[in-house]
Amino acid sequence: MQTLDEVSGAAPATRSGLRLLLLPLVILAGMGLSVEAGLLGPLGEQVGHLWATLSIFGVGSAILFLLLLFAGPQKGPALTELPRWQLIGGFLGPMYVVVLTLATPHIGIAMTMIAILSGQVGKSVLIDHFGWFGATRKKVNAERWLALVLIVVALILIARG
Amino acid sequence: MSLVILLAVVVLAGAVLSVQAAINGRLGETVGVLRSSLLTFVVGAVTTGLLILFFEPAQAVSLLDVPKWQLTGALFGVVYMMVMVGAVPVVGTAVATVAVIVGQLGMGMLIDNFGWLGNPAIELSSSRVLAMVCLGLALVFMYRSSVRRSG
Repeated sequence: MQTLDEVSGAAPATRSGLRLLLLPLVILAGMGLSVEAGLLGPLGEQVGHLWATLSIFGVGSAILFLLLLFAGPQKGPALTELPRWQLIGGFLGPMYVVVLTLATPHIGIAMTMIAILSGQVGKSVLIDHFGWFGATRKKVNAERWLALVLIVVALILIARG
Repeated sequence: MSLVILLAVVVLAGAVLSVQAAINGRLGETVGVLRSSLLTFVVGAVTTGLLILFFEPAQAVSLLDVPKWQLTGALFGVVYMMVMVGAVPVVGTAVATVAVIVGQLGMGMLIDNFGWLGNPAIELSSSRVLAMVCLGLALVFMYRSSVRRSG
């Protein structure tokens, strides 16, 4: 499999442009997550946390099934040929969504997201550093540690109100 | 005490989420965005369905009774999943994660401040704004270190 470094070595300009294009898109996707959490909290209070979670994954499955149906044949190996551990992402999603419906009514969306990210960022830097789960291994340099420190500062600021 | 436990659970959920992002980024590279997302959502739906059948107490209000706009959360989830599966292999797990965080927190503060979508209103304080600035700087550092490595 082609690694990130091989690809970026081949066409650095395109990669850089693609990154700049992707970043705002990823930020928008993050905003969507907060809207989702904002919808989930009140919904979970009304119909139950697991039912609220099922609404997310049920509707999501239906939409993606239709998208896939009309997108035509897909490249790459069949899902049944993949290493089993690559399929466990599906079990992790519901954990996150259930926790969202549980937490947002009690501590607010911003506080929930702050708590989420303190686990998230620490873990993702570790994944890049050690190359866990088949991710491309990257050395965590001083700038990344500095970024981590800034996030911890942000955590403390919001926790204090 | 229960609030501390709740916070610990939420922090753990954040770690779980970034593990999922890494796995799905890899999976998306291999089988394509659509199939990896569908797999994630179907496994999620089946898992949640099983949990409901065996553990969920009966509820007075069902999903069919609530206003329809309350059920649109999945649309944001689908968009998020597809963006992440596409973006993580390009920008890296850490950079993608920080970008998501900036969007998440910005929108989270807006919803909290105005009490949108039926949530309790929590006023936007100066320390919350300062926290956003810190996160913006963190994103810059993550991005710069990522570009330098590949250049």
